[in-house]
Amino acid sequence: MVAVSFNNVWKDYGGGAIAVKDLNMEIKDGEFVSLLGPSGCGKSTSLRMLAGLEHISSGEIVFGDKVVNDLPPKDRDIAMVFENYALYPHKTIFDNIANPLKQSKVAAAEIERRVTEAAKLLEIDQLLERRPQELSGGQKQRTAIGRAIVRQPQVFLFDEPIAHLDAKLRARMRGELKHLQFTLGVTTIYVTHDQLEALTMADRIAVMNDGVLQQFGTPQEVYDNPANSWVATFVGEPQMSLMEMQVTSLEGETALAFGSYTIEVDPKNSARLRAAGKKDLLVGVRPDKATVSLDESLGSIRGEVYSRQLLGADVLVEVEIGKSRVRAKANTSFAGTVGTPCYLNFGSEDLYFFDAKDGQVIPQ
Amino acid sequence: MASRELISYDKGVAVKVLKWASPIFLTFYLVWSLLPLFIMLVASLKDLLDAFSVPKPGDWAGVTIFFDFSPTLTHYVALFTENGFGTYLFNSLVASIGSAVIAVTFGSMCAYSLSRSEFRGKKDLLFWIISTRMAPIVAVIVPLYAIFRSVDLVGTLPGLILAFTTFNLPFAIWMLKGFFDGVPYAIEEAAQVDGQNRFQAFVTILPLVAPGIGAFVILCILFAWNDFLFATIIGSGGAKTLPAATKELVQPQNIDWGKIMAAGIVTTAPMIPLGLLVRRYLVAGLTMGAVKE
Repeated sequence: MVAVSFNNVWKDYGGGAIAVKDLNMEIKDGEFVSLLGPSGCGKSTSLRMLAGLEHISSGEIVFGDKVVNDLPPKDRDIAMVFENYALYPHKTIFDNIANPLKQSKVAAAEIERRVTEAAKLLEIDQLLERRPQELSGGQKQRTAIGRAIVRQPQVFLFDEPIAHLDAKLRARMRGELKHLQFTLGVTTIYVTHDQLEALTMADRIAVMNDGVLQQFGTPQEVYDNPANSWVATFVGEPQMSLMEMQVTSLEGETALAFGSYTIEVDPKNSARLRAAGKKDLLVGVRPDKATVSLDESLGSIRGEVYSRQLLGADVLVEVEIGKSRVRAKANTSFAGTVGTPCYLNFGSEDLYFFDAKDGQVIPQ
Repeated sequence: MASRELISYDKGVAVKVLKWASPIFLTFYLVWSLLPLFIMLVASLKDLLDAFSVPKPGDWAGVTIFFDFSPTLTHYVALFTENGFGTYLFNSLVASIGSAVIAVTFGSMCAYSLSRSEFRGKKDLLFWIISTRMAPIVAVIVPLYAIFRSVDLVGTLPGLILAFTTFNLPFAIWMLKGFFDGVPYAIEEAAQVDGQNRFQAFVTILPLVAPGIGAFVILCILFAWNDFLFATIIGSGGAKTLPAATKELVQPQNIDWGKIMAAGIVTTAPMIPLGLLVRRYLVAGLTMGAVKE
């Protein structure tokens, strides 16, 4: 168990393809950190650099106080679970799990004991004599995890380990993985493109886009105070809506111009907007903080229903206002269908403010 | 899984003709390919008088004369006692198995590296490797002979093994590269994370390409076993193989048909089971990884 840090790490594949740009991150000993981002954002590359499966173009990766840049994977004392499990097809489940122990010349009796223990923990102890092709996806994935936990490594690396499982099994595995990591207390880096996985499992989330670390914070921080408009729209489901607004004044008070509407701003946010002094803003609102109704009310904005999606307990209504589309959650009794005029309401204290030019959040 | 039901449509005249023509063609083809083997076998068991007794032209009932003989093993015995075919058989075995083992050992390592690494000029290198196989051997045999002679390899078994390897190795590299390409790289990465070095990871995945390796050991043996040109020129003298030795049974003053037929059988027989074996392996090997699992 060890702290891990990236210091000014770059990964350049050549030909203008830069996968990771100047990554700086300190991961504490025993922490569960999730690398979150869309495909091609550099999160897997970062993980593979940690594992030693990719060279580092510049910068350094440090485990504890040891720079591991030039250490091959076998000398880094890591365990990794791959997206496609990467089990040895010709070996039994027992031999798959035992492989890391065999490599470090552990005595046969000890191997037997530890493999059985790991298999019991993962509930695959009755499958030890089978081969990977006889197993279901979930069982294969448990085997891959078993191979990782059977040896007490310094660092766990997970590369989208449950991305290929069905939704129900995925939900269950999230809980089990989190429990496992907590019990073992091993520093864990978990790559995923699923923001729900990151939010539910990680102690801290590192959101990446286009090779750049966008924000590194606790799930609550990332959700409540996104660093920029990109993070704001990537984290949270259903997605936050963004509207283009301009800062204006109404009877001497700071207000927002949205199309032909002028929206009043609460005192706290109006101080914040005044201090920032920006004019063009991207204003975000999460769907559960916006309400939609067929009846006009005080301060409501008129639009048209663009789409209506049933979420189960409620419906997600997309409202088209000018060239913006705003998502709002409504009761299932909401009667609007596509094209129906409707009225949107939100409180200014629930809004997120970003600079329209660079997308950065307006400081609090 | 896709349905295995055979769907039949209305057939045209051509299809109907083909339906009748194909068994006829196959019968003809079977006779064409098996008859020489059969004649060889029967002739090798006859003494010289029986071998040349043929019925008069037009006397179809006299065909039985072909089978009217008392089998004798004298030609076989003579081959091994008078002509030293024991040595030639040994040479053939050592040269072909030796070159096959060398070609597949180095070929698999080379194929693995070519499969796993990316570098500038990789395609050119691959083409160069296979181009050594494209050139007719006759074109290089003279310089090769000169080289082999200057290092005293002519007429020795190591020389012959080396010569056979020149054509087996490029073939092995190309074919085995295909097998390695079919093995997911993640398996080796997992092995490395498990604590293995690159070479150990390579050894870990070898069982996955075993059908391919098995098939190419056999193919390389077949190629080397059947080779005539290298065998007569590089191997002449001290490392004579079966085909070269058989050729020497044809003397200007006397063609010893009985022995030639027996030598043919001795040369062919060990390769028939290998041929059947390779068929099974090759199908397993070549279709490996054809469908994404």
